[in-house]
Amino acid sequence: MKDLKGAGRFFAHYLGKYWQKLSAVILLTIMSTYFQVKAPVFMGHAFEDLAKYMQLYLNPATRATATRTDFNHAILNLIIFYILISASMLISSLLISQVAGRSTGTMRIGLFRKMQRMKISYFDTHSDGDILSRYTSDLDNIFNAMNQALFEVFNSVILFVGMLIMMFRQNATMAWITIATTPIAVILATIVIIKAEKYVNRQQDDVGKLNGYINEQITGQKVIITNGLQEDSINGFVKHNDQVKRTTFKGQAWSGILYPLMQGMSLLNTAIVIFFGSWYVLNGSMSQAAGLGLVVIFVQYAQQYYQPISSLTSLYSMIQLAITGARRINEVREQPDEVAPENGKTFAGIDAKINLKDVHFGYVPHKEILHGINIEVDKGQMVALVGPTGSGKTTVMNLLNRFYDVDSGAITFDDTDIREMDLNNLRDNVGIVLQDPQLFSGTIADNIKFGTPDATEEEVFAAARQANIHDFIMSLPDGYQTQIDDDNSIFSAGQKQLMSIARTIITNPKLLILDEATSNVDTVTEAQIQAAMDNVIAGRTSFVIAHRLKTILNADKIVVLRDGEVIEEGSHKQLLAEKGFYSELYHNQMVFE
Amino acid sequence: MTSLMTFMKKYRGDAIIATLATLVIAFATLWQPRILQEMITAILARDQGTVFNLGIQLIGLALLGIVAGVINTIFSAKTAQEVSADMREKGYRKIQTFSFGNIEKFSASNLVIRLTNDINQVQMVIMSVLQQITRIPILFIGAFILAIITMPKFWWIIVIMLILIVAVSAFSFTRMGNYFEKLQTTLENNNTLARENLMGMRVVKSFVQEQNQIKKFSKSSDEMTDTTIRIGNLFSILMPAFFLVGDLAVAGSILLVGSMVTTDPSMIAAVQAFISYLMQILFAVVMGGFMMTGASRAFVSLGRLQEIYDTEPELTFPETPETDLTGDVTFEHVSFTYPGDQEPVLQDISFSVKAGEMIGIVGATGSGKTTLAQLIPRLYDPDSGVIKVGHEDIKQVNESSLRKTVSYILQRSTLFSGTISHNLRQGKEDATLDDMKWAAHVAQSAEFIEKLDNQYDAKVEERSANFSGGQKQRLSITRGVIKQPDILIMDDSTSALDARSEKLVQEALDKELNGTTTIIIAEKISSIIKADRILVLDQGKLVGMGTHHELVRNNEVYQEIYRTQKALEEV
Ligand SMILES: Nc1ncnc2c1ncn2[C@@H]1O[C@H](COP(=O)(O)OP(=O)(O)OP(=O)(O)O)[C@@H](O)[C@H]1O
Ligand SMILES: Nc1ncnc2c1ncn2[C@@H]1O[C@H](COP(=O)(O)OP(=O)(O)OP(=O)(O)O)[C@@H](O)[C@H]1O
Ligand SMILES: [Mg+2]
Repeated sequence: MKDLKGAGRFFAHYLGKYWQKLSAVILLTIMSTYFQVKAPVFMGHAFEDLAKYMQLYLNPATRATATRTDFNHAILNLIIFYILISASMLISSLLISQVAGRSTGTMRIGLFRKMQRMKISYFDTHSDGDILSRYTSDLDNIFNAMNQALFEVFNSVILFVGMLIMMFRQNATMAWITIATTPIAVILATIVIIKAEKYVNRQQDDVGKLNGYINEQITGQKVIITNGLQEDSINGFVKHNDQVKRTTFKGQAWSGILYPLMQGMSLLNTAIVIFFGSWYVLNGSMSQAAGLGLVVIFVQYAQQYYQPISSLTSLYSMIQLAITGARRINEVREQPDEVAPENGKTFAGIDAKINLKDVHFGYVPHKEILHGINIEVDKGQMVALVGPTGSGKTTVMNLLNRFYDVDSGAITFDDTDIREMDLNNLRDNVGIVLQDPQLFSGTIADNIKFGTPDATEEEVFAAARQANIHDFIMSLPDGYQTQIDDDNSIFSAGQKQLMSIARTIITNPKLLILDEATSNVDTVTEAQIQAAMDNVIAGRTSFVIAHRLKTILNADKIVVLRDGEVIEEGSHKQLLAEKGFYSELYHNQMVFE
Repeated sequence: MTSLMTFMKKYRGDAIIATLATLVIAFATLWQPRILQEMITAILARDQGTVFNLGIQLIGLALLGIVAGVINTIFSAKTAQEVSADMREKGYRKIQTFSFGNIEKFSASNLVIRLTNDINQVQMVIMSVLQQITRIPILFIGAFILAIITMPKFWWIIVIMLILIVAVSAFSFTRMGNYFEKLQTTLENNNTLARENLMGMRVVKSFVQEQNQIKKFSKSSDEMTDTTIRIGNLFSILMPAFFLVGDLAVAGSILLVGSMVTTDPSMIAAVQAFISYLMQILFAVVMGGFMMTGASRAFVSLGRLQEIYDTEPELTFPETPETDLTGDVTFEHVSFTYPGDQEPVLQDISFSVKAGEMIGIVGATGSGKTTLAQLIPRLYDPDSGVIKVGHEDIKQVNESSLRKTVSYILQRSTLFSGTISHNLRQGKEDATLDDMKWAAHVAQSAEFIEKLDNQYDAKVEERSANFSGGQKQRLSITRGVIKQPDILIMDDSTSALDARSEKLVQEALDKELNGTTTIIIAEKISSIIKADRILVLDQGKLVGMGTHHELVRNNEVYQEIYRTQKALEEV
């Protein structure tokens, strides 16, 4: 029940802008309900007219006056009403299908939009598959419910209200008797719904987990195959699968029994109406004939009174799935956005220097990774970050791009704190080649111009040439138009890194960050890229992280990080002369023969 | 369909109970109007005794209905869940027999959709079929027979009505099938896009491509929206059309009776019953129609699952007895082409490695190093030539013997969410803490693992996001060495390691895994300088083989690589 409010707000938000269509649906539903109630009246007329006609016809004296005009008229009315019923049904269900389809589409895009605004830390700590199941399972459930239950919900509510009005108009006491059991039904339904809600919530959470498991396992299938872990993977799957089976069974069973319960309640209620109704009539002031007639009418009302409740409950499992789906999507919608300043300063380039001042940072509270880093970079300089793995080099890069924000201290570009800059503008100017090159589905050309979708063909070629991947691409049968995606690698690991470099070069960033950009690339190719990049880097401020020290020998400044602290700083020559940590690293790697 | 039946067979009992319960419900539904009718008569006759009796019957019927309804729900839900869990498991088991090639063909994100969304479609249909299955035919046939009996002359009205209904259904169902097919494909596309955005969120953000990705996703999402609306429109036609046909049949019969009534007055009474039977037929048809829509979506999904079930693994291992293989590796004239490609990636490669040797492989990016390494654990089969491990053709060796012997550390280190020990046990199922510590010392990961709060039970997040690149690599080396394999293949596995850690790893490997054949693919010559032999690959051909000293002297390709790595100053 507690999710109901959230779901209410969720649907109000997404359905709100379809209020015109939805009002039309309600209007049409009222109309079609009216027609449905009214049609039998015309049928009755038709039979009456026919009977009259027969009487006249069978009597030889009046046979000449017998005509079927009235009868034909009634049939005509009947047919018109039938057509109106179907027409209003058709129009309202066309409208509903529009509303359900479009609003689910908005929800889907909304979820994606939200995803694009959230903090990196959310993705680092949540299962991809679980997030994806909100697209594939929860949104599907919401759509089904809207598509199939929306009409029924309106229809039932209208019928229900209509019945109440009719009953109270007829006889208030009998009406009270008829609805007397409603509280019991409501209590029963509440109990069942609380249970059902609990299990359907669990069901969808388990479906999310299963989805997460399958997604992660199949994404890492190569590890599973090479380690012969298939049996293990199946065992883990079976556990999740059984769990889903159990909770889905409970969820579906609990939400499914509401319908037979309410149908039974309807019959019990009828019995009560009969018992108490007769007693009331027989002991009342009414004439017995009139009273009994009333009971007969109310027996029928009692059944019709429960009709809308039953038909709603027959769709309840669908509705509950939608409520749960709304909760799970709300969970994501409520996540904090990335903090971006309102009227951030824009910056068009670095005029003087970049400063990291006493930067402290930790990914999780109480576990500081960077303990007061100070780095100063002049415009146009190339700074190399070296240090043992896990010392915090990538972390520094994460901060420069504001994937994360510093805990204390500041990062400034020309004395402006980057947290005061417009976030998109900042990222536009900071080009980063990430340690893990991720490609996207599309053509090779699309991937290279990922950051600058309107780059010309020449620009794409030039970037690919600089990254030394042009010749390989041209050797493919479809060249730049070859379809790729991240799983379906036609690239070797090194080639993928080259793609990632090309993708960054083409954006022409003011500040270039290379995080192990060529770690899988052979040194000959790397040297060629470097020669090409010398032009790119010249005059541009850049940060380079590399374990292959050969790549950074020409850096203006080498900063050595260890355990989140800067321990040495200087040019290659200076650091070698210091015979400290750097010099040891260098000798470890470079000593031949 | 046949496949669905095989899955259902196991739960025959539950399905039958569910079906029997619907019979009871059908009975209760048919019986109830009668009791009410009699009751009203009794009330009007002021027959208190009968009213009381009938009232008790009504309550009994209500309870019976509740019990049967609950039983039906429980057993339908049970059957639907069991069957769909089995289908999912079968699919997953099948996927686990797939080779690298199969996985790339299907793509991970599509397989996930099939195992979740598609199975869900089937499950919903099983559930609703079991709740309705006997009711619809009973209602339909009963009403049909009664209608014919009441007004035999009007048989043709029923026939025309049914023909029209069949025509309407045929019109929409044939179209719906295609749309449902399309729907599942667009769903897959959405999933692929959302998934790659999750995985590449850092890339998207750093290129400020959020808006363009939203645009791209919206396009794909709109396609799905359009398809759902098309389906919705077809569906919207269905119900009103059914009603219209039925209603017109009703009006038509009354009109006809009107013209015939003069010759046969009894028809007036008969036609009223006839109409109510027509309505019941219509009701059955409408319910059937609902079910058919669900079913036509489920059929599409079944077909998509069948594709998984029917896929033959691209390579299979023989069921030969478990053997102990030594660490010798031989390639005899091996050539290899990736499936779907024309150009071979490896051409006529021959070499042999003795157990315990250390072999380095170098070569330009894309020269085929990874490809060559992948052939040793038989992730792909070569086009021609023979590969032997421990003097046995690997095509004749069973899978677990080969996996036991060869440990292959992939170029892209992948860990699974869970704990560190859970990941390490993937290398050796029954690894003790001591085993883990030993392996972690070899791979130089102990240094950071033991600083973590929970040490070997520390949490690993999705995409191992909470570890640095070098830490990930060292963890995957740890996983690779923990089982002390006879053959260890490291595909550029130290690329993200600093020189000092790398050196320590090498020394530890040398000391602790002395009898192991190590095949090291590397870009840095310092990583393989001590190798017994180094293979030099160039565009898929083996162009050199020898020690560092030999190659430096006589191999041009190697010399070029060496030149780019020489220290600036001689030390
Ligand atoms: N799955 C695949 N399907 C088709 N072609 C592929 C596939 N994987 C690799 N290739 C192609 O095969 C060639 C060799 O790739 P391989 O991965 O063996 O190179 P590599 O020598 O390991 O390179 P790197 O040093 O970059 O890792 C490359 O040209 C690549 O484009
Ligand atoms: N998302 C995260 N959540 C928690 N801890 C993290 C996260 N990312 C990194 N860490 C931790 O922060 C520390 C520094 O990691 P970082 O990636 O900056 O290292 P690095 O110097 O770039 O190493 P490498 O050379 O291996 O890439 C490591 O101990 C790592 O475990
Ligand atoms: Mg490779």
